[in-house]
Parts: sequence; structure tokens; C-alpha cells
Amino acid sequence: MPSSQAPPAGATALDPTAVRPDIADARIVRVTPAEVRATLEGLKNDGFTMLLDIGGVDYPGREPARFDVVYHLLRMPVQPATAAQVGAPERVRVLCGVPERAPSVPSVSDLWPSADWAEREIFDLYGIRFEGHPDLRRIQMPDEWEGYPLRKDYPLRGPARERTPRPSFALKSNVAAGTPASGRTAAALQKQIAQARGRNELHGAADPAAAAQSAKHPGGTVTGGAAAPEQLAERPVNLNTKENPK
Amino acid sequence: MTTASTAPEAAGGYAVDVVARTDSSMVLSMGPQHPSTHGVLQIITEIEGEIVTKASPEIGYLHTGIEKSAENLFWSQASTVIERMDYLSPLTNALCYYLAVEKLLGIDDKIPVRAQRIRVLLSELSRIASHCVWLGTGGIDLGALTGFFYCFDLRERILDLFEMSGGARMHPNYIRVGGLAQDLPQGFLERLDAFIAMFQPRMRDVRRLLQKNPILQDRMIDVGIITPEDAVAWSLTGPVLRATGIAYDVRKAFPYSGYESYEFDLPVRSEGDAYARFVVRLDEMDEAMRIIRQVRKQLDEPGPWQIADTKFAPPPKETIALSMEALIHHFKLVSESFRVPPGDVYQAVEGPRGELGYYVVSNGDNRPWRVRTRPPSMYNLQVLKKIALGELIADMVVMIGSLDPVFGEVDR
Repeated sequence: MPSSQAPPAGATALDPTAVRPDIADARIVRVTPAEVRATLEGLKNDGFTMLLDIGGVDYPGREPARFDVVYHLLRMPVQPATAAQVGAPERVRVLCGVPERAPSVPSVSDLWPSADWAEREIFDLYGIRFEGHPDLRRIQMPDEWEGYPLRKDYPLRGPARERTPRPSFALKSNVAAGTPASGRTAAALQKQIAQARGRNELHGAADPAAAAQSAKHPGGTVTGGAAAPEQLAERPVNLNTKENPK
Repeated sequence: MTTASTAPEAAGGYAVDVVARTDSSMVLSMGPQHPSTHGVLQIITEIEGEIVTKASPEIGYLHTGIEKSAENLFWSQASTVIERMDYLSPLTNALCYYLAVEKLLGIDDKIPVRAQRIRVLLSELSRIASHCVWLGTGGIDLGALTGFFYCFDLRERILDLFEMSGGARMHPNYIRVGGLAQDLPQGFLERLDAFIAMFQPRMRDVRRLLQKNPILQDRMIDVGIITPEDAVAWSLTGPVLRATGIAYDVRKAFPYSGYESYEFDLPVRSEGDAYARFVVRLDEMDEAMRIIRQVRKQLDEPGPWQIADTKFAPPPKETIALSMEALIHHFKLVSESFRVPPGDVYQAVEGPRGELGYYVVSNGDNRPWRVRTRPPSMYNLQVLKKIALGELIADMVVMIGSLDPVFGEVDR
């Protein structure tokens, strides 16, 4: 049953960076892959000498750029400096939108040697190519791995294990469940519940109202999943609807 | 001199155990099961005699998909896996993540002052505990076994304090959104006082044993020199950056949790070698204790330890049995967590290894859309490619130890 506190379904943002609240954590620059190298080179010459991090984000369905490659820069002196000279260095965040088809971004590993592993990691986990990178191969996953694990359409447990049955009690929202190995499917569980009800009624303890209610809602239990999605929408069977015999 | 045909890249990037190349040069694979690599690090080194001519570290042996897991957990559950990244200072990870979430929620200015003080106390205790591991194992790399026991005894006492606060020694999960899981328990401050009293004499022993040790000095001085230009180009942060003379520390530059109100200095050295990093970390432990002493004076004053808004922080236990609203809020928090307004934020804290950053994206749901970590020890470790050139293969061990990588964080 949807909560009164929760926002209605479908209120999630397709591009959260466009509707972000006013948080003063960094200056934000948006670029396309064609401009990113010139922008970063200009920023580096402007005093943003430290490339803190490069990260990737996947926004499936966002057009025209499905991915974001995010560069975090810091204005930092390159000679010995005291804490007062460093002060509160300025931060810049460069968001580079990358299209879904043949995603590719020019590499900056010649400007900053530290970009080497960061770009390899994005290539490994998102499948975005960095043109001009000297040694672009997988870094976290094994070399023969298939797919790009941090993409949103990549299943949580990986494609190989996804083909095997999964215990339905561990149902996760982004994973389709199959028949569990134990054989305790939704139908089997409902049968068991019905049997328990029947035994209770034989003992003559049930009141007619509760029996009628249970007949009205014979539907899904907490198990289920891709095999029976319509059952999930119904109210789960509650074994405690009948009062205990006095 | 060397032929390209047997380069490790040509072998698909895989480990080549020992491959003789020419009469004078060979490829030696160090790790991933090497005791001095502090985890699972493999370094494919090309050596001429004993001189390293190329070093390519291979990481990823401990990749556990923590960032992917965090995207599939509630906002408050994600800190469970996030604490496992840098497993030597888990509270720093959790603090940084929650600071980012609190910024997105817009409650970062409503955190009670007592919660902020305890957060500072625990991050500084984590810093000391993490440096204790680095110091103990780094000493073992060089054959100094005794220092290990001094350092780990010190660390055990800190882990006892963590256990009192959150219930677990390694991953207390004590920091929560809007404050803390609970107030400090009875008897905590007495044990903290006992720890503060024993810290200075113990550090004096450790310094006598390790810092003044001529063998260790011989092994570390002028080994693995990093210039300030290199440090900035390779994105080094933390003690490794400060050992090159650049006094950048997130606690001073972008203060969080009230760090601006404490008095402490940044230990800085200009040599940039392994010994400079060693001394900077030792001095940092003393500075951390200086902060802890200042926090300790403020902790006698009681106060709330989490925000009053029960939409994010669970209501007090005693109200749940009496108030319907409290019961509902508690149930909602446990069963479907809270929702975070859409947006993205970058938050950094000064971890024991440098600038630990989290780039957190929310799309308005009750799970994070993306939690990208800026792992300080991954960037610090990367510079090994540069500083190992021309050094002795035996000094590789010293250099890895002086960079202090934690592989839970490098590989995530």
C-alpha cells in the first residue's frame, strides 16, 4: 500500500544534476565530449592543477547523453606552500555528457598522469572509451569479463548467476526472480496456507467474517516476482487475520 | 636492450611469473600474495640487476563491487558496505558519506553540536588507529618486529572504545544520518581518559624504537622521492602530499563537523622521501591526540546526539510505545527508509590517507543513484609507477609501505 509520506511513483528525476538544490560545493561546468579536452586544458592553465578524481554516472533514458563523466578539479599550488598559502582552494566539477552509441571521450592522461587508472576504471565499469589512452584495458574486473558492471541495466549479481534460480525471499527491485531451488514457490506457499486455514476451520474456531475475508483475498504472498507480477499488486495474505480461539 | 615481445601487456596483462628477457634484464612479478604488499597488490617489475627499470602495479584483486551494492541498498543501509571500503578507518568513510547525504537533505546545519564533537573524536581516533597499523606493518617490512606489538596494543585500546560506542570493533556503524546511533555509553569517557593518559608515553617508546632507529633511517632516507610538482600531477593527498611541502589538508581548507574550532597544526616536511612521510604520519598522530584532548573537555556537557526530525533519525525508543506518530516514523524508516531530494554533491573529508571524497547522486528515491568514491590510496599508490624507477628492488617494499595503501579502498 503506497505511503502517504512517499512521493507518488514516477517522481524520480531523470537528470538529477539539472534539478539539484543550491549546494555550494563546487563550480559546475557542463561540456560535450568534443569540448572537454580544451576545457580541462584551459582550467589546468588557469591554476586548477590537481585532477582529484574522474567518476562516471549512468542515466539510462536521458537524451542525448546517457552517461556523465565527472571530473573534479582543485586549484592547487605546485610548489611548497604553507596552509595559509593553500587557503581554501577552489573546486570545479566538469560534467561531460556522453551519448549511449559508441561512448567515447578524449583522454587527459597526458595532461595528468593520475588520470590513467581513473579512466581505465570508467572504461572497465561503464564501457566508455578514452581516445588516446596509452593502455586502455580493464582494471578492476578480469580481462575476459563481459559487460560493464556499473551500468544500470547490468544485473546486480551478474549475468551468469542471474540465469540460475534465486531465492524469492531475497527479492530485489532491480532483479527478476525465478523459481527458487527449494521449490517453495508462491503457489506452494498459498496451498500450505489454505491447508492451515482448513485445519483451523475444522476445529471450529473460525468466525465467519474472517473466513469470508480470507476467501476474498486469496492472492499473493510476499514471494513471487517476474513469474507472477500481478500477484504482487494484491494485498499479502496475513495469517493473523483470525483471532485465536479463546 | 629489452624486447617488446615478452612485455606483460603482450601476455594479456597477466602475471608472468619470472621471465628472463635478455642476459641482463628480467621481469619479476611481485605479489599478489606477497606479505609486504599490505593486501593483494601485484607489481610487474622489470629489473636490470637489482635496479627497477619499470614497475606496473596491477590492482583489482579485491574488487567487490561496493559501489554497485550501495546503489541497491537504502540510504541508511549503504553505509554498511561503505564502511568496508577503507577497513582501517571505517568511521571516516561513514562520516564522509553521511555528510554528503545530509547536504542533499539540507539538514547539514542542523546536526547537534554534541554529535559533531563525537564525530570529530571518532575520526581522530580512527586516524591514530589507522596510522598504528601502517606503523606496525611498515616496521615489519623492514624487519622491526617489536614496534608492531607496541602499535597494535595501542590500536586495540582504540578498537575497545569503538566497541563501546557502536558495538563492533572494526565496523561500528555508529555514525548515522542526522547524528549518531546513540549517545556515548556510561564508562566511555573514563576509558578515553585512560587512553589519553597512556598515549604520550607509548608514542615516546615508539619514536625511540622506530624513528630514531639508524637501520630504519638508512632504509628510508632518500628512498622514493616525490617532488611537489609530481605530487600535484599525480593527485596525491594526505601525508604523502604534505611530506612534499604542500600543506593541504581538508580539515583546514574545507572544515567540516566543526574542525575550524579546534587548534592543531599540519605536520609538513619538504624532503618528499619515505622518511619524510614516516615522520609526517608520526607527527599527525600527536596532532590527532591534541584534537582529542580538546574534544574531551567538551564532552562532559550533555546534549542531543541526533536531529529532532524523526523523518530521518529514528524517534527515541521510549516514545515508540506511547506515540502513534513515533511508531509510524520508526516503521517507515525501517521498512522503506527516507527519500532524498534529487541532486548531486561532492563531499570530502581528510581520511588517514588523504582526501576521501564522495560524489553522491540522488534521483529522489530511497536508494542512492550513484555513490562514487574518490579513493585516496588508489591515487597515492599509482605514483609507484614513477617513484620506483631507478630504485633498488628491495626498496620497493619501503615505498609501498610509505604510501600506505588499503586495498579495500583501492579496489572497492
